[in-house]
Amino acid sequence: MKYFVKVNGRDHEVQVEEQADQFSVEVDGAPIRVSYEEVDNLGQVAMNVDGMAHAVSIEGDANICHVVMAGFSFEVELEDERERAAHAAERENVGGGVIKSVMPGVVIELLVAEGDVVAEGGPLLILEAMKMQNEIDSPSASRVKTVHVAQGEAVSAGQKLVTLEALEEPE
Amino acid sequence: MFKRILIANRGEIALRIIRSAREMGTESVAVFSDFDRNALHTRMANMAMPLGGKLPSESYLSIDKILEAAKASGAEAIHPGYGFLAENAEFAKRVVEAGLAWIGPPPESIIAMGDKIESRRIMSAAGVPVVPGLTDPVDDFDAAIQAAEGIGYPIAIKASAGGGGKGIRIVESPDDMEAAFRAASGEAVTAFGDGRLYLERYLDRPRHIEIQVLFDGEGNGVHLYERECSVQRRHQKLLEECPSIAVDEELRAKMGEVALRAGRAVGYVGAGTVEFLFSNGEFFFLEMNTRLQVEHPVTEMVTGVDLVREQLRVAAGEALGYEQADIPRNGWSIEVRINAEDPVTGFLPSTGTIGNLRLPGGPWVRVDSGMFRGMEVGLNYDPMLAKIVVWAPDRNQAVARMIRALQELHVGGVRTGAPAALAVLNDERFLSGDFDTSILASMDFGVTSEEEERLAAVAAVIHRRQMAKRSALSRSSSSREGWLKRSRNTVATYPAATTLAAPTVEGGQA
Repeated sequence: MKYFVKVNGRDHEVQVEEQADQFSVEVDGAPIRVSYEEVDNLGQVAMNVDGMAHAVSIEGDANICHVVMAGFSFEVELEDERERAAHAAERENVGGGVIKSVMPGVVIELLVAEGDVVAEGGPLLILEAMKMQNEIDSPSASRVKTVHVAQGEAVSAGQKLVTLEALEEPE
Repeated sequence: MFKRILIANRGEIALRIIRSAREMGTESVAVFSDFDRNALHTRMANMAMPLGGKLPSESYLSIDKILEAAKASGAEAIHPGYGFLAENAEFAKRVVEAGLAWIGPPPESIIAMGDKIESRRIMSAAGVPVVPGLTDPVDDFDAAIQAAEGIGYPIAIKASAGGGGKGIRIVESPDDMEAAFRAASGEAVTAFGDGRLYLERYLDRPRHIEIQVLFDGEGNGVHLYERECSVQRRHQKLLEECPSIAVDEELRAKMGEVALRAGRAVGYVGAGTVEFLFSNGEFFFLEMNTRLQVEHPVTEMVTGVDLVREQLRVAAGEALGYEQADIPRNGWSIEVRINAEDPVTGFLPSTGTIGNLRLPGGPWVRVDSGMFRGMEVGLNYDPMLAKIVVWAPDRNQAVARMIRALQELHVGGVRTGAPAALAVLNDERFLSGDFDTSILASMDFGVTSEEEERLAAVAAVIHRRQMAKRSALSRSSSSREGWLKRSRNTVATYPAATTLAAPTVEGGQA
């Protein structure tokens, strides 16, 4: 089975064949020798790759997980061949996108209204979290399609703030 | 010495104080919010008094509840730790009025140093150098633009009642003044309930260097050398060292002397820190923190002085009993703060439940931590979870030891700033000593080697396959979840008497 793995934003491919608890693994086309022993059910793993010992910590689910090795942090997104084919159709359809809150906070000030055109990096709203005011900016030049929140509203992590749509004509 | 003290704080600092108190034969009384019923400090103190409430304002910031707990527990003194009520002069006054000893400086010293404008005036009068700027708050951004002409850009806008980096904005030119002024004012109002702002020169490539001081009630004072705190972001420190690579013997003695002068000017008693900005060979008074500081352990490691013990001794009326020449300075110490935040997303706060937890150990590694497995990390409290502190004979060995310790650390369930600290410890500028307070902002933390990424990719793939295998082997997932949900409800609640009626645990052993 082949997996497409994005690690800290970079793409890698891992091929795994398994026979009676023996893994045969190729990463980016190169074969490696791997053993993988779970230490506990909390995510600690003793991994050995080509004789090198790695104390790995891993938390997450089948598609998104977080790996820590020797203090360094790796954000991992993975999909197998079947998932990749299914997701390919969705990927074609990139537009302005939805801006979500990455943390719980309070909307202190709305800086745009529906229909406004914002430049890349232009401010959308001020979100206060941890007593700090954070300016939430537009990732791309877009038109504001929907504003989902009101001034003074408390928002939770992952809540939609603003939906943007792509501009028809670049300005 | 006190028989029993109350600690009006939580987390690692409450534990830090409990530890010294226990070693001195002094009993400690913890106070705890509903959220902290199972916290480490609640478990490790001799007594634990519930304050109720989940929010800080209902618990660790409630002067009435804390004084009531002190009375009910029979504590003779209160240690405020840092944060919360530590620099609240009203609280200090109320503690003294209640007939208890306050383990901190006199309320008058807190008031004098707490107002940045007032403290600048006092320091100037005492001959302590201050940063060029205004001593009076400005009314609006027009006035700020006018005033800035006289001071010179870049300008720092700061909140009069500020601290912890809140309400501070840097302005490069008059055009940016209006937006920055509004943002700073808004933040100051939310954080401190006081929107007054003042201006000062923003110094070129400044380092943040601070001096630890210690005074007894008889007018004796010593300094315990400097701490280098330039590795910070939005004025929140990440990594601190003692000593500073930028400070030589002559400068050390001079800064120490000025710091003692600053303390004497406000009648200081106890442990305090005088913060300086150091730029192009000059140093300027920034502020004095009238409390124990987060980064105090690096000073302890290098001097061998237990600062909490000294705080208790001074508060109990004892004299220092030693002089400046008696303070040793041996080797090098580094501290890294383990905050629940994600360096890759610009240090946004990270929340979750700590599951997989592995703490470092080995020679000369000190862990001051409030973390435990199952601990919930929310947004109600400070994101600082723990501090890793190392000691070594010299700076290079201390750096290597800290890297090693951080590689051993793992905090699963939340992101921490540890990878950022590792990046700093491997940064050429940090290693050579040629850095200033901008070093952290100039770094990129999402960068990893492709070789390591491949290992992470392999681990993630096998993890996924193991998960799939487990779920295929187990009984239906819904019955399993039902079981888990039931077993999670392990908190038994009894209709207890009123919140503060009686101490819940007495004489417990950690």
